[in-house]
Amino acid sequence: MSISAPRYVQAPVARVGRTSRTWSIVQREIRRRSTWGPLLAMVLTWFIITLWTVVSVFFTSLVGGSIRAAFETPYESVIWNLLMLIVAATVGAGSLADDIGSRSITLYLSRPIHLTDYVAAKASAIGIWILIAAVGPGCVAAGVSAALGWASVSDALAAVGGCLALGLVTAVFFTGICLALSSVTRRSLYAGVAIFGVVLSVTAAVSVISGITQNANLLYADLTSNTQSIAEAAFGLPSPYPTDPAASAAVMVLTGVVLATLAWWRLSRIEVVGE
Amino acid sequence: MPGGLLQADSVTKRFDQVEALSNLTVEIAPGTIGLVGPNGSGKTTLLRLLMGLIPPSLGRLSVLGFDPQQEPLRVRERVGYMPEHDCLMPDLSAVGFVSFMGRLSGLPREVAMSRTHDVLEFVGLKEERYRKIREYSVGMRQRVKLAQALVHDPPLCFLDEPTSGLDPQGREEMLRLLGVLAKLGGHSFVISTHLLPDTEGLVDQVLLLNAGRLLAAGPVRELLSQGSVETVVRVKGDPEAFVSALSAKGVRARTEGLEIRLSLPDGNTRPVFEAAQASHAQVRYLGPSVRTIEDLFLSMMEGGARRSAP
Repeated sequence: MSISAPRYVQAPVARVGRTSRTWSIVQREIRRRSTWGPLLAMVLTWFIITLWTVVSVFFTSLVGGSIRAAFETPYESVIWNLLMLIVAATVGAGSLADDIGSRSITLYLSRPIHLTDYVAAKASAIGIWILIAAVGPGCVAAGVSAALGWASVSDALAAVGGCLALGLVTAVFFTGICLALSSVTRRSLYAGVAIFGVVLSVTAAVSVISGITQNANLLYADLTSNTQSIAEAAFGLPSPYPTDPAASAAVMVLTGVVLATLAWWRLSRIEVVGE
Repeated sequence: MPGGLLQADSVTKRFDQVEALSNLTVEIAPGTIGLVGPNGSGKTTLLRLLMGLIPPSLGRLSVLGFDPQQEPLRVRERVGYMPEHDCLMPDLSAVGFVSFMGRLSGLPREVAMSRTHDVLEFVGLKEERYRKIREYSVGMRQRVKLAQALVHDPPLCFLDEPTSGLDPQGREEMLRLLGVLAKLGGHSFVISTHLLPDTEGLVDQVLLLNAGRLLAAGPVRELLSQGSVETVVRVKGDPEAFVSALSAKGVRARTEGLEIRLSLPDGNTRPVFEAAQASHAQVRYLGPSVRTIEDLFLSMMEGGARRSAP
């Protein structure tokens, strides 16, 4: 091994600000998650939702009916929530758990950034992935349908708007869940299982209890009911569901924000410099 | 508090019932500083305080003229940190990791990459820089940790147990690198370690901690020249009888391996030869002992003496 002194002869470098530093974490996190798991989940989501939407719009254009309802069909299904859950779990489970497990969080927080910047960067990276999965297929399907003449441009634009609204709410909700459950373990596998377990068990329990008690307010704790209600409203359709779409959206966004705050709180209790 | 490298003014840090640091007052000038003490002496707590990661319970701190509690980001922009434990990102190459750390410290992308190559060459990882960190040995990982601490060219580096987990050859290499860095000048290093021999010949100032209390702080040369200098004697014969004979003459002596260490208050060596004659021993060597930081630490521990830097 040869040792030689570094040649630091250049003038002092102007440092970039906090936003750029935080953005470098977002970029790194997005690249880091570009592995076969999240990519497979993404491809699967795009394939199923795009094909489903295009076929639905095509048949509706043939037989007649509401094109907007055809655009909305996949989002009313449990399958869409399941796909979002898969994307969120594969992308977000390791977001914090990997850094806690490898203790690289020490190095992040010993740099000139705040813990809030770190959590915000992680949230942004997860959110971007989920947003691409949630909004992308609907937008592509709308474009294809409009291009082939199966839907009018106004209906296609309304579908894009609907996808965007639903996608944003979904992204905030799943990002919060991923951050919270990823912050309590050192293993991304455990976090992934927990994300599935918590979402599915809460959804199942609420469905059963609300069915038994006939209490519609309980449905605000049900992911599927909330998503269906928001989707109907976002695509400009009359909602047949007992839950109010605005309240459903507020519940999902608030849940995501509270869970992300919990993740921040949990990280603030972690020893930054090991003994 | 005025500017300087490090200053602590009556700093106390409590964790529930445990006082990790007690009333620490010290001022350290730029240079290479050894932060030494046994495990649990408060070294890591002090590093955490200096980086603004935890607040002091009492007192004030200053790092490069900035208060770590008031301006933590300004401090961390100017400080490099090499943690003790393994904390690297195994999925990245050394180049990817170090340049990412450079960007996190505020370097523009191109500058971060350029400095990454320089610093990886400096730590001896030029050939292996594109390999994934998960494939690295412990010694290589230590070098990557050192590289990420240096990449943004900070005026001050905290190195926490830099030789931890290294084999003797790796330890020598790391100490040699640190020696080169110290000689380069322009940068200050705080080397936290419980391995006191690691600091010998490397640091020019030392801060000795024990059980959260400051035992001594200041320039090494000054500290080592303080106090009574022991005399080392090697004898042929019965050392126990020789020590007994010395005790009879009022000279306190103790046996350490083949050597006998004693204190001669006025430098008068006559009692040594008289004791040798009385115990039928031959004096083979007589001279002053060479004090090390370890000796200083042990004597401070024994005496319970404390001294704060001015």
